[in-house]
Amino acid sequence: MEGRCAVETWAEFGFPDASRTPRITCARGTDVFICTGSDEVYVFDTQERKLTAVLQFPSPVSDLVESHDKQLLYVSCGSGVYCVSFPFLLSRAQSSPADACSGPAEVKVPSEFLVVEQESVSSLLLVGSVLLVLSQRDASWLLSLYKTAKEAQCSSYEMLSSFSLPLVSSGDTEGTGMRRRPVLTCVHSGEPKSQSSSSASSSTLADSHFQLDPVLFKLLFGIEAALAKSPVVLCGLPDGRLCFLPLRLPGARLRVLHSLEEPVAFVGLSVVEETCPGHAKCLVVVGEQGRVVLMKTVKGGPEGGGTTAGFIEACVAGPVVCGSVDKHRLYYSTGSDLLVLDLSVGPSGRESRERDDDTSSPTAAALTRPNSLNVCRVMALAAPAHNNAGEVQLLGLSVRGQLQAIVLPVVERRDEALSNQPSAQVGRSVGDLLSAIGDVCQRVSVLKNAIKDKNQILRHLNQVLNVSFLLIASTNSEEHRPGQEKPIRCRALTRWSRLLQKDSLNLTCVLDNSSPYVLEQGWTLSVTVFPVSYSPGAGEESSSTNFSFPFNYLHPGETLEVSLPLAAAGDTSFPMRVSCSLIFSLSSLLREEETIHLPGLQRSCISLPLNTLTVDWLHALQVNNPTTHPINRNATSQSNHYPTDTVKAFLSSHRTRCSGRGESGEKKAEREQHSARIRVSSELLRDTLVDTLEPQGPKLSSENLCISLLDWLLSEHPGGGKIGQQGDRIALSSSCVHARGPNGDSVKLSAKEVHVGEESTGKEEHLSAVEVQLDSSSIATVCGLHHAVLSRIQALLQSAPERTASTVRVQSLGLREALKRAERLSEQIQQSRISGAFGMGTSTGQMSRSLLAVYKELRENPLLII
Amino acid sequence: MYQPTCLLNTWVQENNELVKKWKVRSRAQTHLRWCSSEFYKLLRKTQGVPPHPDHVHLELSVVYNACVCATVQSQFTEAQLLLTQAIQRALQMTSDDPVAPDLPAFWRKVLRSVVNTAFNSCVLDLLCLQWAMWLATCQLKTIQEFKLSSLVETRGAGVGDDKRSEARGKTSDAPLLVTDPRRLVELLQICTSIAQGAERLSEDQSSEALSGLQKASSLPAPRTLVAYVHLLSGSCLSHMNCPQMALQCYRKALETDSCCVCALYQSMLIYRQLGNTQAEIQALRLLHSMLMLPSATVPALAGTHLFSPSLLLCSQSLSSLLLVPSALSVLHNLALKCALHGRVSEGVEHYLDLLAALHSEDQHGVRVYAEAPRLPRLPELYLEAGAALLMARRSADCMALCNEVISTTLELLPERLVLEDPEERSEAETRDVTAEGEDKMAMLLWAGAAYLLQGHCHTHLKDWKQAVNHFTRCINLLVKVRCKKTDMVVKQGSDLCVLQRLKGLSLAGRGIAFTQTNHLREALRDLLLSLQAFPECVGAGLWCGEVLWRLGRRQEAVACWEKTWSFTTQSSAEGLPLYLREPQSGPLLDSKELRHRIQELGPT
Repeated sequence: MEGRCAVETWAEFGFPDASRTPRITCARGTDVFICTGSDEVYVFDTQERKLTAVLQFPSPVSDLVESHDKQLLYVSCGSGVYCVSFPFLLSRAQSSPADACSGPAEVKVPSEFLVVEQESVSSLLLVGSVLLVLSQRDASWLLSLYKTAKEAQCSSYEMLSSFSLPLVSSGDTEGTGMRRRPVLTCVHSGEPKSQSSSSASSSTLADSHFQLDPVLFKLLFGIEAALAKSPVVLCGLPDGRLCFLPLRLPGARLRVLHSLEEPVAFVGLSVVEETCPGHAKCLVVVGEQGRVVLMKTVKGGPEGGGTTAGFIEACVAGPVVCGSVDKHRLYYSTGSDLLVLDLSVGPSGRESRERDDDTSSPTAAALTRPNSLNVCRVMALAAPAHNNAGEVQLLGLSVRGQLQAIVLPVVERRDEALSNQPSAQVGRSVGDLLSAIGDVCQRVSVLKNAIKDKNQILRHLNQVLNVSFLLIASTNSEEHRPGQEKPIRCRALTRWSRLLQKDSLNLTCVLDNSSPYVLEQGWTLSVTVFPVSYSPGAGEESSSTNFSFPFNYLHPGETLEVSLPLAAAGDTSFPMRVSCSLIFSLSSLLREEETIHLPGLQRSCISLPLNTLTVDWLHALQVNNPTTHPINRNATSQSNHYPTDTVKAFLSSHRTRCSGRGESGEKKAEREQHSARIRVSSELLRDTLVDTLEPQGPKLSSENLCISLLDWLLSEHPGGGKIGQQGDRIALSSSCVHARGPNGDSVKLSAKEVHVGEESTGKEEHLSAVEVQLDSSSIATVCGLHHAVLSRIQALLQSAPERTASTVRVQSLGLREALKRAERLSEQIQQSRISGAFGMGTSTGQMSRSLLAVYKELRENPLLII
Repeated sequence: MYQPTCLLNTWVQENNELVKKWKVRSRAQTHLRWCSSEFYKLLRKTQGVPPHPDHVHLELSVVYNACVCATVQSQFTEAQLLLTQAIQRALQMTSDDPVAPDLPAFWRKVLRSVVNTAFNSCVLDLLCLQWAMWLATCQLKTIQEFKLSSLVETRGAGVGDDKRSEARGKTSDAPLLVTDPRRLVELLQICTSIAQGAERLSEDQSSEALSGLQKASSLPAPRTLVAYVHLLSGSCLSHMNCPQMALQCYRKALETDSCCVCALYQSMLIYRQLGNTQAEIQALRLLHSMLMLPSATVPALAGTHLFSPSLLLCSQSLSSLLLVPSALSVLHNLALKCALHGRVSEGVEHYLDLLAALHSEDQHGVRVYAEAPRLPRLPELYLEAGAALLMARRSADCMALCNEVISTTLELLPERLVLEDPEERSEAETRDVTAEGEDKMAMLLWAGAAYLLQGHCHTHLKDWKQAVNHFTRCINLLVKVRCKKTDMVVKQGSDLCVLQRLKGLSLAGRGIAFTQTNHLREALRDLLLSLQAFPECVGAGLWCGEVLWRLGRRQEAVACWEKTWSFTTQSSAEGLPLYLREPQSGPLLDSKELRHRIQELGPT
């Protein structure tokens, strides 16, 4: 019970007599009766919060009790019991000279109101029409029963009977100060019959009357009391004895039910566990030193003997000054604090006696943990009441005589409401609880998922960063160590394919992941294709084509193959550069609905360049040996490739023939064969090509060398892939290859071994070289192929091993010649350029012709590449 | 010398006024207490001056008054102290200090020393008070030794009386006394006689007691006390085996004091002893109606005298003689007698009255609880009433009562119970444990009896199925009890006896019910078991024979019948609760018819 109590002081009545127990009783609607041990009784109206009357008695008041019809008040003081009727009180109050505003009416109770003449009355109790008076005699407690009159007659009551109980010395407590008032309460058996039979009196039971569970009633007070439907008077004496007396049973005696061994401070009944409404299941007795005894029904007694009454003892920190109980809780004050003890934690009645020791000890432990309410100095408590808001309100009297209203925080109200409900409602509320549990479960799983997602994203991001660092590092290091390959890179191979009677060159790009990292979702392979040189007529932007291929997962060691159309037949914009890069879009980290909220993220991406490949003329060549060239490996394409190819050849030959007949000489000039030659030292080729192509043979024959050179030129793929098939090379049996260029022109590549030494003046040693000759009717084809072959051989040279000193000498010989030629040629170019600049006389055709001639000459006399 | 007389007069005045006030409201306890304290104050004042012969009369009168007040409030030790101190102070003036080891010796000395002084009469008055105190504390031996009656009688009849009247006539300033000593003496004399008679009666000296009482009967005394004398004489006579004369004495007592209920009670006991049931029932009915009168609860003689007989007659032997059971107990007796002796409907009414009285809120009118013949316990009353209702053929009401008992006990019934030997148990185990166990046993027996009665009710209604049901329930309950020792002696009235009887009756009832539904095999089994548990069961015996007869085992049947007829019927039923008797409501077999059958069988 957390939270603080609201304590409100309503009135002050001066210091109570320390030697007597103060008493506070809620009664008569909003009225509260307070006696502080002095000879006055205060009537306090809780609604208007003012003192309405003060009753003055001839001697100190010990106890008071209100009649069931709330018309009479019985007050015991030194000389006996007075009976004050409220009508009298009202009339006196009105007739008294004190006007309304001046304060309470003070009424001196006259001695005619004395109805029971008995000395030293300690406690009063009213059961039906019987007034019970407990008084202490020299050597005994005397419980006298008086028959009350219906209306307030001022005559003494008739004594019906009296019971005495020998006094037991209450030991040291007698001397210590306060004389505790014996506690008198009345318990009814909670049978529905008795409720109806005892008429109106039981329906308006005062705070000292309880309905006890019938089984417990029988167990505690005997079967006869239950059968007689007799109310039982419980009497807690200061010597610790708890006595009981069945009122209507003939021959009944005042018998001891239990001995607490310390002054009884409080006797009450608690519902504890609600089974049948209105019946208390537990009798609670609290001693002054803090001993708490709960009496409950215990099922399964010794040797299976049915139900028995179980006494559960526990100790709370004393001293207990006063107590009060409501349905589930015991409130008690130690003088320094007000505490509340939850009684419902006790064991249910199902436990057997055998297990009592085990079960009662945790109970006792639970019972010794009261909750503090942080209200001090409470000397007397009235029965707790529930106000409209459902809060528990206690009325207390403090040491200083202050009347305090203590409102407890509404914490356990829900439980209480729950326990008050019948089973159907309980079932419903259980359903509510279950659905609430379901909701919580759902929320937990959603949160778990979110956390999982975030972890996933982080992991993902980590991979991305790893990949990007790897790639960035490799680009940096590439500048210094060109030989090293990137861990993630692209290879490509070209293929001609025929679709819808149209040939097209497809590039198959292979992304090779040899890094230790997984390329996860969100990565996109972007391939940009653009020609290295472009014709001035075409627009710059149109010439570049971008392809992107998003992919899901690429584990280490796996490859991704994508195909993209590179060029259609007739397209001559080779060589082309293929630039590959990996792009990671940050938005792919998040799901779609989340990316909507982050518009900036949709565009943000990481772009990591991979390698750049070049697709040159050689790649685009279609070798005229369909059975052996890789393009036609596909069996399905073979079948329809043949006829179309032959038809086309026929048509084109026919067309040339026709055009040749009708066209001018310019066409003829075009048709004339252009050629270019490239010489490469065969020693170099042997060194390099053996490394790259033929690891088996240390020496290649010249014939083989030529073939392998051609083979190397034709089978090399962009990106350095050595993926040429074994069959291809075998098929290439001659050193002359006829092929078609991408624009359809046929081209002849031939290689032969020449000896450079012969041509020159001749020295003691000739240098063998391989001459690659390109012959085609199209100059563009020749140019392109020449360029391609040169660039290949350049690349080959870069990786070539160191050359020998002898070759340098030979080379220098050729160089001089070549320089001469070059000087001449540059003169020619210079000349033509000057004429071009000034030239009105020379046409563009002339100029280009002269340039072409220069070019031809350059091609015709190749340098020997060693 | 002058001054004291003046003081004396004021004190006398004060005393007299107190006495007058006292007489106005002498009964109220608070008033009594107030007067007592006032007399004490006055006494302290008078004893504040040194002892003076002139003051002695006043002083002793004040002592007398104060002592009366104290005695009436039963404060005997204070009164005794006051008395002895005052007398010692008075005697200091005249003679030596009378020091004596005990009170009788002290008084003898005192009487000897004052015999011819002026305040002899005052001392004798005080002696009367001493007598009253001795009587109230039951020191009859001392009174007898002292021969007080004769001693004081001479004084009362003789000179003292004249002197007193003289004094009263002479001056109005003579100190008044709260009670007249002569009346006190009369009262003391008869009370002493009564007390002595009771004492002798209890010591079995009936004839001496009778002679003493006959002497006392001539004494002047209040009617109640005279009635007591007659009552005691009657008791003596009944002790001397003269019941008729005793009855005469009781009649005289009743004639003297119509409120003397104990005389009626005693005569009822004599009727019972004589076996005069009708007279006994009559007496019981009278007794009950007298007890229900409001006047019976209040002793009527307190008004006439300050000293009530209850104060003076407190001896144990007398109070045991004067004991009267409560109205409820009388009513129960009446109901039981009626039910047992053929006035069933009357008995039923009485039983119902009894139950109603127990449930009414106003039954506190019955004043004395916890007297000798206690009421049976409440469930037993219910069962008895149920049995009476069954006898009166009101089976529905009977079932309702039994239901009440069953519903009350059912939840508390044990699963198993061990019945122990009562002698063994009392030694071996502690009291509270046995009390609990006994309670369980009693509860089980009550519930069993309730089922038995319900079974009988159904038998009466010829609802055999239900009857079998209820008898079975009863049997099921009874078999939960295990005896600790197999060879326990079945004592009359013990739990074991009740258990066996219940078993026998319920088995017999079930057997008869089975017979009616023609389940002869089961019937025979039950009836034989019944006879085993309770061999004297007449119904079981006869019906067992009948079943055997029907099964064709005629010789066995005849043997069974003849054995049953040989039982002395109802011999063991005496003293048993009503509900444990064999019911007369079930299907009966005509003995004549059976004998006829036997005769027919005989020749074969």
